Formats: sequence, C-alpha cells, structure tokens
Amino acid sequence: MWSKSNSLVVAYFTVIVALTGCLVTGQLKPLFNGMQILPEFHQLGAVAIVMALGAAAHLLGADLPAIMITSCLSVLVAVTYDQDPLTRYLILSALLFSIGVYGMTTSRNAVRVLMSIELMLNAVNINLVAFARYVDPDMVRGQLFAIFILTVAAAEAAVGLAIVLSIYRNSATVDMEKFNLLKW
Amino acid sequence: MFNLNDLAHAASAHLEICLFYLTAFIMIPLAYGVLLDRNIIRAGFLLIGVFGGISALFLLLQAQFLAMAQLMIYAVGITLVVVIALMLTNPNLEYEKSVELPQQQLPAFLTSILVFLVLYMSVLSEAWPVRNELPSADNIKVLGTSLLTQYSLPFEFASILLLVALIGAVMLAKSDHFHPGEEILGNESISETEGNENVVKV
Repeated sequence: MWSKSNSLVVAYFTVIVALTGCLVTGQLKPLFNGMQILPEFHQLGAVAIVMALGAAAHLLGADLPAIMITSCLSVLVAVTYDQDPLTRYLILSALLFSIGVYGMTTSRNAVRVLMSIELMLNAVNINLVAFARYVDPDMVRGQLFAIFILTVAAAEAAVGLAIVLSIYRNSATVDMEKFNLLKW
Repeated sequence: MFNLNDLAHAASAHLEICLFYLTAFIMIPLAYGVLLDRNIIRAGFLLIGVFGGISALFLLLQAQFLAMAQLMIYAVGITLVVVIALMLTNPNLEYEKSVELPQQQLPAFLTSILVFLVLYMSVLSEAWPVRNELPSADNIKVLGTSLLTQYSLPFEFASILLLVALIGAVMLAKSDHFHPGEEILGNESISETEGNENVVKV
C-alpha cells in the first residue's frame, strides 16, 4: 500500500521533474521556432510532462488529490515563471477557473457545486481586476465590472442556496445523483 | 553605478512576484480542499481561505476597495450563508462516503484540462497593451464617480436585482406547510368532505 509519505515523495518528484522539464523545453524553444510549430507555447511541453508524470504516479497508486495539487502548482510555475505580470495573473485565474469547472462537474453534493461556481466567479474577478491594474490604470473600469459581478454573485448564492434548501425539503437529499425528479 | 530608484523598483517587483506565488501556493491547495474534503463543513470553511487569498491578490493589484469588499461579501457573507445551508441540509454533519461522482471523474478532468489549455492559448496569443504605471492613489474616488455618473443605471439595476433576489430567496426557503392548489380548492374540498360525511351518516 502507498502511505502518505510515499505520495508526498511522488509529489515532490513531480515538481522537480516538471521544473527541469520546463527548463529543457525553454532550451528547446529555438527548435520550435525553427519548425514554426506553436512558437509561443513552448511551455506546453512542461504541461504535457507534468500530466504524464501525474498519470504515471496515479497508475503506481499514489494519492490522487496530492497528484492534482502538485501538478497544478508545478504547471503554474512552469507556465508563468518568465511571463509578464498581467499574463501571470490571467493564467492563475484560468487555473482557478478550471479547478472550479472540475468541481462543478464532479461534485456529488449540490452545495459543493454552488461553492465551485463561486470559485469560478472569483477567478473571473481576478481577471477583471488584473486588467484594470495593467491595461486601464486611469479609469479602473475592470474594478467596476468586478463590483457588479460581486453583486450578482451574492444574489446567485442566495437564490441557489434557497433552491437547494427547498429541494432538500422535498426529497430529503442534496445528492446530485438523486435529483432526477423530472425524469420518468 | 546602480540607480537607487531602479533598484527600489526592481526590489518591489520581486516582492510582488514572491507575494503572488506565496498567495497562489496557499490558494490552489485550499481550492482543492474545497472540492475534495470529505467533511463538507470543513470544505465550507476552507472557502474562506480561498476568498482571503483572492482579496490578497486584489491588494497586490492595487484594488483596495475591492479587496475589502471581497473580504466582507465573500469571505464573511457568502461563506456564512453556505455554511448555514450545509448545516441545514446535512444535519448529522457526517463524513460523505464519496465526494465525487466516479463515472464523471475522467470526463470532468479532460474538460477542465481543455478549458485551461484554451484559456492559456488565448491569453498568450494576444499582445495586451500593458501600461506599467501604477493606478492613482485615489482610484476609489474614480470608482465612486463613475459608479454614480456613467454607470448609474447599472448601479440601480444591481440594487433592484439584489432586492428581487432577496425576496425570491426568502420565498423559496420559507418553510411553510403549503400544498399546491389548497387555497383554490380549499372550500370545495371541505364541502365535498362534508357532503361525504352526510352521505355516510345517512
């Protein structure tokens, strides 16, 4: 059996190999430029290496959450370490958004689905505020949009949780699998 | 010779990068904790950490008002509502047997990877017109002015939306023992039962 320390070792190994992989793919950048294949996306090689390593660790039986967290962090570092600040924030928010997508589609509990949706809305807010800081610093219009998103998110949370509560009162469960009242 | 001004600028840029990575390295594991923790009440409280990290990012991005609004609305308000809803829908506060739907794990994983790759490519393939000057110190003033002049109509609509959502949430979540059709058919059904009773008596 794989213990917690074993999965930590695998996770650490994943981070190190991902960092070396991103350095190597950085070295390979001229090659990609010469071949005219994805000249700007040379770090995708690092993403692929991280994914392959994560899959290998999963096949070896390591802890899935540990693999996901460490591969996420190493992808963030590999993809943003030589970018300008705006791109860094945008990529972090893309990462948070895709985490939210994953949670929204897999969660069993309806309230957890709502929490994932909050996560996605917050990722969008990071985008808007980063644009307000780096593209439009005089009239911070992105922050205005973020304020409106905040308002709509508050309304959405209240109504969504009320719907979940009334479903719970009718069917005594919040399991997404059992919400098939409309199915005959 | 080093220009001291340049040196201070470089140091502040490095500090910002370090704080960014620190916040990200705290925030992403917390976000995974929100998704994967088997104790869902703890997941609800981990959400506070994620929102706090995002408000720290807002502070790094010179959006002081939004950072405070984020703390007040998300980290306190919405999380409190979520935790109360969790306590109402999960009264025994037990551990969940499985957090995820097993048959959806792989498609969801592929979907999220695809979403990330599409967003990444679209972020990188655009040359953003970045201006590296700091926003002015009184950008709260700019915000307030534009919120009450140019964007006053959306502002009013947002207030109406909040009111409607509040009323709707109260209506939906109100626990009344109300059966559909009762107030329409009420008198007729009572008279019918009386009639039936009369029949039985006769």
